[in-house]
Amino acid sequence: MIGYLGVDVGSVSTNLVVIDEKTNVVSYIYRRTMGEPIRAVQEGLRELKELLPSKIDIEGAGTTGSARYLSGVIVGADVIKNEITAHAVAASHFVPDVQTVLEIGGQDSKIIILREGVVVDFAMNTVCAAGTGSFLDHQAARIGIPIEEFGAYALRSEAPAQIAGRCTVFAESDMIHKQQMGYHTEDIIYGLCQSLVRNYLNNIAKGKELLSPIVFQGGVAANLGIKKAFEEVLETETIIPKHYSVMGAIGASLLAKEKMREKAKSSFKGFSTSDIEFKTSSFYCKGCSNNCEIVKIEVEEEVLACWGGRCGKWEVEQTGTTPVS
Amino acid sequence: MKVGVPRALLYYKYFPLWDTFLSELGAEVVLSPRTNKRILNLGTGAAENEVCLPVKVFYGHVLSLKDKVDALFIPRVVSVEGGAYTCPKFLGLPDMIRALDVDLPHIISPTFNLKLGLREFCCSIFELGGYFTKNFYKIISAFYKGLNKLRNFEGLMQDGYLLNEALTGRLSPTPKGSLHIGVVGHPYNIFDSYVNMNLIERLKRRDIKVLTAEMIAPEIIDEIVSNLQKKLFWTYEKDVVGAVFHWLDTKSVDGIIYVLSFACGPDSLIQILIEHEARKQGFSVPIMPIVIDEHSGEAGLVTRLEAFTDMITRNKVGRL
Repeated sequence: MIGYLGVDVGSVSTNLVVIDEKTNVVSYIYRRTMGEPIRAVQEGLRELKELLPSKIDIEGAGTTGSARYLSGVIVGADVIKNEITAHAVAASHFVPDVQTVLEIGGQDSKIIILREGVVVDFAMNTVCAAGTGSFLDHQAARIGIPIEEFGAYALRSEAPAQIAGRCTVFAESDMIHKQQMGYHTEDIIYGLCQSLVRNYLNNIAKGKELLSPIVFQGGVAANLGIKKAFEEVLETETIIPKHYSVMGAIGASLLAKEKMREKAKSSFKGFSTSDIEFKTSSFYCKGCSNNCEIVKIEVEEEVLACWGGRCGKWEVEQTGTTPVS
Repeated sequence: MKVGVPRALLYYKYFPLWDTFLSELGAEVVLSPRTNKRILNLGTGAAENEVCLPVKVFYGHVLSLKDKVDALFIPRVVSVEGGAYTCPKFLGLPDMIRALDVDLPHIISPTFNLKLGLREFCCSIFELGGYFTKNFYKIISAFYKGLNKLRNFEGLMQDGYLLNEALTGRLSPTPKGSLHIGVVGHPYNIFDSYVNMNLIERLKRRDIKVLTAEMIAPEIIDEIVSNLQKKLFWTYEKDVVGAVFHWLDTKSVDGIIYVLSFACGPDSLIQILIEHEARKQGFSVPIMPIVIDEHSGEAGLVTRLEAFTDMITRNKVGRL
């Protein structure tokens, strides 16, 4: 059996997917990155191997997410792509006529506009992470309700509270105020969902034409309160794909499959890469007054990759795996 | 006399003129180094919290120069054409610097205000020249030599060279490039490779031909701007609007990157104007705004650039 691996390492979660020749999802792993991308990828690979049928040959690997270059080095990626492209590819794979992709992840959120299967516009949140998964995570912890149950609470709300969504800090003081006033927890939680959606639509989706079919994906799509809030405002249904939480990784695996049409042999290092000890270190380059912070990844004294420099001085010859642009 | 010129803000517009004029009158022009981490930190540490990043960078350049020169050249450029002003920050620049709580050399700050007419403008030139010589003709000759240099510089950009190449004279053949991307914004944002995290170079490394507003004939920009509903107040924003409208109209680029700095007043208004026009044209040319601030995280910029160029490339070949 032939498989293609996709790895998406984001700020909050690390996802790994294997698809087969017919692009069906064979197995997938969704786990928290916990600030340790290398370990997350290695343990993810180990867990994934357990789930996969024993006779599978990985004939292509792709990485995406904010740690795409790092994870690309570790797994030996054939293709390293940004999250926008990966998410768009995955969304239009499952919903071929998709025109709008709403993606809300841990620390960023994006909107992708497609027309006739082609990305024509996109936007990401700029300087602020208000209105993303971390915001909900933080508030869930504060209220003392597991984030997994947030959606169920939200759906029980009858008179949602008005919560400021512009800024996490203000939202929090608003919430405290509403709690002290005696509002129901359900109403506060749904109010929070509505404020997040408002924030998203006013910032990221500002000025964009949101045509259906609309696909809603990313970890936050697990929250039915957010889905409901979106549908209320947009006055249309949103489609949550089956594998909504790992769409980036699916996109990466699809891109890997596409790439292998023009490449003879995959660079995938095999599942045993999870036993190798990768060493990362960082230092300040003294070459000029920029004092760039250089990150180095080594295996047994051999430097696999370096990045962080403003000039090309530290780049290791290895086409495609260093963030050149 | 050593005269320090900060490599920031209007340096990117007028340095050939200033350099030649001051040198011709016998001054030794000392230019601050390219923006680096130290300069940025000096600037953000000393500047008012509310000014935009480019002004903070200007502070940094001033501070890096102050002990190396006898005087600093910080003109007050109020207006460079009738009926329009420059950014309000430029009007108050010498005052902002003087208000710093550090020992500074003498600040030479002639006021250039063409709104008051040519006569006043000439008086400013003579006032400035007067620091160095009492010879009236020497000042005129120095000014014309400077003006020639400025025209040469602008001419090179009209020929398709990027500003930094035209400024240093190190011209490199323009790459053919399969993609053409227009980059607009203030020159001090686009061509300060430290603050924009090497934006232009990153595009060039992807074999992309970069076009800028300076390459468009001023008459074209003037005509476009004169058709606006309301006259623009600011001279330098005219270039941004004119360039974007021109590209949208002629479809001569595959995509437009609009670089703006956080907390820039004029940019925030211009951005809306551009969005409106783009919508009117049915978003036929994709536009991506990039906001730069003093955060140095490259990841966000890299992801956006990759996604933007991917989108355009895949569009061209008809694949998602």
